[in-house]
Amino acid sequence: MPDLRFLIVDDFSTMRRIVRNLLKEIGHADADEAEDGVVAMHKLRNGRFDFVVSDINMPNMNGFELLTQIKSDEKLKHLPVLMVTAEARKEDIIAAAQGGAAGYIVKPFTKATLEDKLANIFKKMGR
Amino acid sequence: MQDDHKHDHQTVEMYQKLGHITRQLHDALNELGYTPVLKGAADELPDARTRLQYIARLTGEAAEKVLNRVDEAKAEQDAVRQHSQQLLDTIGAVPGLKWAMPELLEWSQKIQASTERTDAHLTEIMMAQDFHDLTGQVIKKVVALAATIEEQLLQLLVEAAPQAHPVAQPSAAGASARPHDPLQRDALSGPVVNPEGRTDVVTDQSQVDDLLASLGF
Repeated sequence: MPDLRFLIVDDFSTMRRIVRNLLKEIGHADADEAEDGVVAMHKLRNGRFDFVVSDINMPNMNGFELLTQIKSDEKLKHLPVLMVTAEARKEDIIAAAQGGAAGYIVKPFTKATLEDKLANIFKKMGR
Repeated sequence: MQDDHKHDHQTVEMYQKLGHITRQLHDALNELGYTPVLKGAADELPDARTRLQYIARLTGEAAEKVLNRVDEAKAEQDAVRQHSQQLLDTIGAVPGLKWAMPELLEWSQKIQASTERTDAHLTEIMMAQDFHDLTGQVIKKVVALAATIEEQLLQLLVEAAPQAHPVAQPSAAGASARPHDPLQRDALSGPVVNPEGRTDVVTDQSQVDDLLASLGF
């Protein structure tokens, strides 16, 4: 799926860069970045994206709020949202799944984990 | 309705008791001469916060430097890999060369394998820079905690002063225990620093996968 456009949402530039580089290595070079949910929603509403990779603990609008907004927006709710976060509480993982997240990766993670989760999501999407 | 009234009454009573205990604590601090110690602690907290922010900034800059070098090294590695491939193609295209000089073929193949291994190492080095995100989140939490402690210590000092005003009644709404709400940023806990003995958190990706699978996700 080399034609997919990703939006990477994380308040730490280091992590955005790591995820972006990993996606590139996996074969997804088309990506943009946002430092929080507010910027992400603005970019999503004003651009074309196929996939969102989002942190949870961010200022202004956190990953849960972003997920809720995406899933309640008619034009965006089809977007798969993969949570990549240090939040390791079971209740947060369950809340993300119930909120419509396509997957949940806990930091620190490996390239193989990201590759595996993306493959699973694409399989479920039938791509 | 009646239950609400009873609950409000109990809450007010609880804060009155807390206020009384706090007043006794203030008096004890004054009598024991601990007020200057508290003032010293309150004065040192901004310095502690600044030092933590300094660590966060420096580790962030170090991580960015490493990522810059990794990007450059990966580009160099890719160039070496492409040249070794060209060499392999050339050896294959010249009739009899790979038989006449088999070591050329062997070396080129070794270079190819080596560039792939080095690239994998570089990816690992890149991934290791996630420490900045993880430690940064913990530092942010500690800085916020230090600010809260500083504020509370200063409040305690103000109230323990000789011409202290009566203890202000805290707002019940602001101080009430809040259930965990994932939408609230304050409710998010960040990286788990010590997972030992905890059953409410996961410690690796396999536990995340098992939890989600057990719930049918």
